[in-house]
Order: sequence, then structure tokens, then C-alpha cells
Amino acid sequence: MASITRASVSMPSLSTSVNQSQRRISGMNSVSFPVSGRSMIPSLRLQRGLQVCCAAKQETVDKVVAIVKKQLALPADAAVNGESKFAALGADSLDTVEIVMGLEEEFDITVEEESAQSITTVQEAADMIEKLVEK
Amino acid sequence: MLSFLRRSYLNFSFMNPHYCCLSRNFSAALPPLLPVQLPSRMETHLWYVVPDEVKSAPLLSKYMELLPQYERDHVLGFRGDQLQKSALLARTLVRTTIARYQVDDHLDPRSLRFKRNIHGKPEVEWETKDGFCPPPLQFNISHTSSLVACGVTMNSLIGIDVEEKRRRTKNNILAFAKRYFTAHEVEHLNAIPDSELQQQEFIKLWTLKEAYVKALGKGFSSSPFNTFTIRASSGIAVETLDSPQNLTNNWQFALLELMGSHYVAICLERQETGGAGKALPIKLTARKTIPFVEDELVSGTNAVVTIGGSVTQF
Repeated sequence: MASITRASVSMPSLSTSVNQSQRRISGMNSVSFPVSGRSMIPSLRLQRGLQVCCAAKQETVDKVVAIVKKQLALPADAAVNGESKFAALGADSLDTVEIVMGLEEEFDITVEEESAQSITTVQEAADMIEKLVEK
Repeated sequence: MLSFLRRSYLNFSFMNPHYCCLSRNFSAALPPLLPVQLPSRMETHLWYVVPDEVKSAPLLSKYMELLPQYERDHVLGFRGDQLQKSALLARTLVRTTIARYQVDDHLDPRSLRFKRNIHGKPEVEWETKDGFCPPPLQFNISHTSSLVACGVTMNSLIGIDVEEKRRRTKNNILAFAKRYFTAHEVEHLNAIPDSELQQQEFIKLWTLKEAYVKALGKGFSSSPFNTFTIRASSGIAVETLDSPQNLTNNWQFALLELMGSHYVAICLERQETGGAGKALPIKLTARKTIPFVEDELVSGTNAVVTIGGSVTQF
């Protein structure tokens, strides 16, 4: 697909996650690519009639919340959920990159910088993780 | 530590920055902003606010009133007083600073409009009026909870980044650098035996890299941190991976230590060179400010120490 070709040209580290996405397209319901592929989603929807992504498991969200709280030194009882925005919680760009690095270690995934920059909420991070983790 | 600070007092009756005086006087409207001269083509202006020094609740409410609703909502969207305060001060600083340059005779900080370029970099959206030619004013903001800064130039693209000197990463520095920086930068950090110094070098490198990407204004995805190296041996320069032999001469850098507590990295598009392509130093004017209250010219004092790059302070 043109989108995957473009992805693999610009981001050589992406090969594993791209293959996962290809398998997802063939029959499943999630179409978000772990790349700056927002422009890809509408065309895929038209072509495949697929649903846009399903929400990540609560367990994943909870793990992301824990990593975010740790990075930002928030109290354990701070109200952080899927909708929470990293920036609103006080994350600057260094924090965001550190959070992504923490997610990579926790879930054994690789997140390229383009995606890292486009994750703004806990839910977005959790959704991205699930796509990268699925094999 | 007492440093010699040159104060340029504004002509207001409430110069005493004690809380009671401010609260009494700020029940009325804010005074007009004192104009400031635009930077010349070769100059860079650095303005900064120390949030801890802005204590007046009435003054902060007045700042809030300067903002359009969507910016107020954005400020209030931050979690907690400290974050909201630095977000408010960042918007206030950029609006009041630009307004003070009196680009358009009756420029009101409230009426300034901002937009984002196609890559998301904030810019002023000047009014299109007959006979009004918008100036090539460039600006960039950076803030932490303890410092809010704004850099301004005429014409040169600018990126700035500020960070507390004692900022600690949660991850191991070398692990982080191996993941996100270039091999040369990892080598540079690895060669530093003292962990405290290594931490500081990391923060300096981080702010310089951020400043570069912000100056480029094309968003982080166009320049991932591992695609360019900041070399800071003699002077500071950037080298992009796609043209390694050719140190990118378009950009010049300054690294400052502010108030002994913060690093400020500035990246500027190079405008002119001296003879034989040699870079001219950055001409810097630094002012600490509390909008509507006071300015202090601090360049050339202990408050602003050049620790990297070629800088002349005025």
C-alpha cells in the first residue's frame, strides 16, 4: 500500500510495526498506523469500511497512568485517566520523551519520534501501545 | 549574591513591589505599557519573567483579562496553580512584549492575534490594513514552572529553550542519549566522568537541540533528535546527518546561564557574516520583567552568563 511504502522509506526502524499493521488491515478493525499517518485513516476507511480504532484495554491504560505519574512525580491518588493530557499534567517535551521511553521499556516496543510527538493523552498512548504490541 | 542591576523604572506611582501596594493599585485598570525599541537586524532581545516573583493575585487576574477566551481556557486547562501561573505568564509575556514594540501605533496586547504556520509554529497574525507593512518580527517562547522566557528578533528565525540546571532525567542519561541522540553526542556525554557534570551537559545539549528544532519551525517530526548533532567544542554548531562533512552554517547558537539556576539556549538563523564567512557574535539584550510593573536590564551582569557560543551582551 502506498502508505506503508511511504512509511518504510522514511522510517526504516518501523518494519516490525508496519507488518503488524498490515495484518491488522486484512480483517480487523483498527486502522491507525504508528506513524504520522493521520492522513491515511480517512482513505482507509473509505476503501475498507473499517471501524476506527477500538479503545485500549483498561490494563494498558492503567500502566500508562502509572508511568506518567512516576515521570511527573504526581501523587498516587492524583486523578489521571485516559483523557488526561500530558501537557496539562505538566509534561514538557523532555517529560514526554521520557514517558515514551518508559512505555517502550514496559511494553517492549519501539516508538519512532513522529508518533512520540503526536501522543498527547494517556488514551492515545495506550491505543498506540496496543497496536504495536499485537502480534 | 548581589549583582549590579541596572533598573529602568517605569513611570508609575506604584513602583514598590510589595503585595499591599500592588493589590491596592491594581483594583483600577492596568497602566499603559511602556514602549520599547524594536531590535535592530543584528540584535536579539531576551525577555524573561520569574513566576515566583509575581505574587499579586489582582495582577495575575489582570493578566488573565488580557487573554482571549480560548487562551484563558488553555491556561485553566493546566493542572494546578503553578502550571496555570507559568502558562498565564507565558501568554502575558509574549503579548505585552510584542505590544511594547509599538509596531502599529496603538497596539494593545489584547488585540494581538496569533496563528500557527503550516508546521504548527506560532506567529503573529498582523492586521492587514492599508499602508501597513507588517514587520519581520520573529519570536519564540519557552517556559518551565520557574522561568518564562521570550526571544525576539527582526528577521532571523529564532528558537529558544529554557531548563533548570538541576533538572534530572528519570531515565539513565546514557540510555536516554543512546536512544534519542546521535553517536557523537553519546560519546561526548560518555566521556564525562563526573555524574553531576554529565547531567548538566545533558541538559545543555537537550536545550540546544530543542532550540534548533524550534528555530527551524517545522515540527519535531521533521528533525528527530537523532538526525542532527550539536557540536560544542569551540563555539556551538549543528551538523545534520545528511550532510555530515558540511557543518550547517545557517544557524548560530548561544547558551546562557541565567541567575545561576537555568540554562537558556538560543538558536538563530544567521543573517550576515563577517569577512571570509566568519560568523559575527550574537548581539544580545536581556531584560527581566514583570509586565506593567518593572523591567531590569540584566545583560552584562552576573544574572546572564554566556557559557557557549559567541555572544556580545548589551
